[in-house]
Amino acid sequence: MDTKDTNTDLNSPGAVVPDAAPSPMQTELAIEGGEEVPILGGQEKEQKKSPTPFQDSLRRLRRDKRAMVSLGIMIFFILLPIFGPLIYTHIGGTVVSPTSGTISPAAYHSPFHVELDSQDQGPSAQYWLGTDAVGRDLFARLMQGLLISISVALAVEVVDVLLGITIGVLAGFYGGWIDQLLARFTDIMFAFPGLLFAILLTGIFGYQADTIFSKIPIIGANGNARLILVSLALAMTTWPLMARYVRGQTLQLKEQQFVEAARTSGTSNTQIISRHIVPNLFSIVIIAATLNISGTIIGEAGLSFLGLGVQPPGSSLGLMINDALDLTQTHPWEVLLPSIVLTIIVLALSFLGDGLRDAFDPRSKD
Amino acid sequence: MTENLLEVNNLKTYFFTRGGVVKAVDDVTFVMKQGETLGVVGESGCGKSVTALSVMRLVANPPGKIVGGEINFNGDNILEKSMDELTDLRGSKISMIFQDPMTSLNPVFTVGYQIAETVKRHRKDISNDQAWKRSVEMLDLVRIPDPKRRAKNYPHEFSGGMRQRVMIAIALACNPQLLIADEPTTALDVTIQAQVLELMKGLSQEFGTAVMLITHDLGVVAGTCQHVNVMYAGHVVESAPVKQIFETPAHPYTVGLLQSIPRLNESRDARLTPIAGQPPDLTNPPAGCPYAPRCPKVQSRCRQERPELMPVGRGEQVAACFYPN
Amino acid sequence: MLQFLLKRLIGLIFVVLCVTFITFILGYLAPGDPIKTLLGSHFDPITYAQLRHQYGLDLPWYQQYYNFLVGLFHFDFGYSFHYQGRAVLDILSSGLPISLELGVWGLFLTILIGIPIGIFAALRANTWVDTATMGASLVLYALPTFVLAVFVQVLIVSIDGGTGVNWPVAGWGNNWQYTWSDIQFKLAPILVYAAISFAYFARLSRTTMLEVLRQDYVRTARAKGLRERVVIYKHAFRNAMIPLVTVFGLFLGLLVIGVFFIERIFNIPGIGATAIQAISDRDYPVIQATAVLGAVAVVLGNLISDLLYTVVDPRIKAE
Repeated sequence: MDTKDTNTDLNSPGAVVPDAAPSPMQTELAIEGGEEVPILGGQEKEQKKSPTPFQDSLRRLRRDKRAMVSLGIMIFFILLPIFGPLIYTHIGGTVVSPTSGTISPAAYHSPFHVELDSQDQGPSAQYWLGTDAVGRDLFARLMQGLLISISVALAVEVVDVLLGITIGVLAGFYGGWIDQLLARFTDIMFAFPGLLFAILLTGIFGYQADTIFSKIPIIGANGNARLILVSLALAMTTWPLMARYVRGQTLQLKEQQFVEAARTSGTSNTQIISRHIVPNLFSIVIIAATLNISGTIIGEAGLSFLGLGVQPPGSSLGLMINDALDLTQTHPWEVLLPSIVLTIIVLALSFLGDGLRDAFDPRSKD
Repeated sequence: MTENLLEVNNLKTYFFTRGGVVKAVDDVTFVMKQGETLGVVGESGCGKSVTALSVMRLVANPPGKIVGGEINFNGDNILEKSMDELTDLRGSKISMIFQDPMTSLNPVFTVGYQIAETVKRHRKDISNDQAWKRSVEMLDLVRIPDPKRRAKNYPHEFSGGMRQRVMIAIALACNPQLLIADEPTTALDVTIQAQVLELMKGLSQEFGTAVMLITHDLGVVAGTCQHVNVMYAGHVVESAPVKQIFETPAHPYTVGLLQSIPRLNESRDARLTPIAGQPPDLTNPPAGCPYAPRCPKVQSRCRQERPELMPVGRGEQVAACFYPN
Repeated sequence: MLQFLLKRLIGLIFVVLCVTFITFILGYLAPGDPIKTLLGSHFDPITYAQLRHQYGLDLPWYQQYYNFLVGLFHFDFGYSFHYQGRAVLDILSSGLPISLELGVWGLFLTILIGIPIGIFAALRANTWVDTATMGASLVLYALPTFVLAVFVQVLIVSIDGGTGVNWPVAGWGNNWQYTWSDIQFKLAPILVYAAISFAYFARLSRTTMLEVLRQDYVRTARAKGLRERVVIYKHAFRNAMIPLVTVFGLFLGLLVIGVFFIERIFNIPGIGATAIQAISDRDYPVIQATAVLGAVAVVLGNLISDLLYTVVDPRIKAE
């Protein structure tokens, strides 16, 4: 299964059955919670302000070692592609290449520089993680691929969250035709299993996207033009699920007494939504978003793997795997490197998602 | 002298949890005679349910475990029986019904099937047809109207009171010698409660079934039981025929319980007299008498030694108190 | 109950219609002129017009959609844009039995391995066995198919190298045959393919089984003197099965997508591979047909799920 946008773990909020409300979430988030601060003998402790349930959850999260390690790994994989190339392109001295003359690390440590004399090399001092079949630096390509993964994941998630929250809240709060529309739309999106819709979209409109979007500076260059289409395709498949979760949570919150109280004191609907409902969506949104990011990264890798995502000379984890697939028997390292990195990221996101869920919704524990 | 049907001696059932060892049943001793209805009363957490579950060896393990004592049923120690012998015993010689009828029946099998299943399990030579007939008979016995048709219904098609009757039907299908009823009416409406209790009383009389009725409701006990055990913090603190429990309670806890029941004939201004204090923490019970912290008649001896059940000089009545009434 | 099914059926038909419409529209809006591509750079207008007519491309879009739908009913997916004159069905038919074989095995293994493992873990909850199997399942479930496939291929290669056994890394044996040579080809792809769904089922079975074992009616079953095996496999499992049945449709979706990746990596000539080829050939009818097949499979799966659900849960009949 190559996309995790349908989180099917029964413990997850929103589960699988389309009309099920999510598992009951602690709704005390809007109400200041108190916690007894134990006063240890012999120690002076000033009375702390009682932590909010949100801070409580954060504390629970901090205590979850697996989640913290995963968070650390993710931060590493986010910082690496951003700052890595800046440093890497300055490390190493000039080298004389038979095909390109004297080149500096800015060249040979670039993900696009082809060096036909140094094909399929293992890790070395010059090429930290080796080279691929056309002599490109694998470490550089890895970082570039990670950059793509993160950018796409971020773009998709922003759309996912914005659209998901907006439609989800409206559907849950007002019901009626918005809700019906969301339900139908979700049903249809669910009928396209996993990446099928994205494959369809990128398969058919891919080339067009290449030509149109490559005109856009920075983003469009180096075979990345299609990423806009990819992001669009992935966003379209993930937002209905987010909207579903949000809708379910909104429905629950709507029935809570504090909403009734707000209503009786004359708060307008907009105010109720913005002040009472949206802040309480935080936990469910963040959990769903983390798991969605995992799905998006896999989705982008999958699409690039099938040749539908990043085009050469661009780099993507999926593309790297595809390129090295035929070399499994001779140079397994080339295919293992991106695979292992992808695995680590996905597992880290999985554990982080689990940790977040345990921290923010302890009732979902076995 | 007729042999006792059930003899529980020094039963100890502990729960090993992360927060500590909960001594839910801590040295409990009592007997039951053939055909007798015994009421076991006490507040939540006093160990009455766990005692019952221990007799059936149904205590969830982990975290619970029977760590000591013996449970003699017809002279044999249940705690020493093998799994096979135990499952033979359950449902045929000793049966149990539970508190929540809404969740105690399996939703995917018909009611008739669930009764017939017990019969088939314990009577080897019976055919499916005969088992089904017995099912229908039992449903009729527990006064389910139109039993032949209803036997083919699923639990969700019955109301709470009727489900509890079905439970009784299952429990009595093989004519057990002992029926343990763990708060059978607590989850039911008051009017239904009366009906179900009536039914149980009638059936036990008709078939000579002994009944261990666990409840926190003294009113229920008054109407149905012959003998009563009062439990507190994992111990039996008093045991007496029902009349004596109500008329001449010996243990201060029993006295307190009876006093705390609001009565219809009290004046409206009379204040309720609850028992002061809280039940003890079962992971760390106090030394001496467990009731000492709340007892109005406590003496220094009570805090040091734990009193055993002793006769108080009124026939069978025994109480675990150094200074009974 | 019949009403429930009928309602679901109508909903599903609606979904299938939308899916076919979306697939059709995407194809309709697809860039490029397929006729021009077919004819190359030199063509005369008459042939052009003829071919356009032949493919029905000169009709208005709603008529084309109608034809498309009608065609679907007859399993006529139109003609390929790339292989002139070949029916799409023809192109797909060679790959279909292969993908079906893969799919059936995937289904089979998922149920046969996933569920027992889940129950096994539930019965030994919180022991090392439980943690180990659930940990392994988590990893298998979280990994994308193609990554797992890569690892397995590397494994095969190293085993081949180390022991001299010549286990093939890619390719497919003969359809639906299982000689030793066939098994050598098919074992790895089928296992990898099924891995994700059976890992998911293992985790789900464990969760539902644990949930069920906590229920009062399990305690009642024990109190009746039923043997433990009966309590677990008859009373508990029958109830645990219910949520498993409802996700059937969903996991069929997982299998459908998995087909694309597995066939690419293991070089299996099924419809997934055909579809990928069609994508680079810009053979839209083939792509559309594959998409519709995939979506219909999911929808069918959901329908079967609903049907099974009414069978296993007597409470549904009350609706």
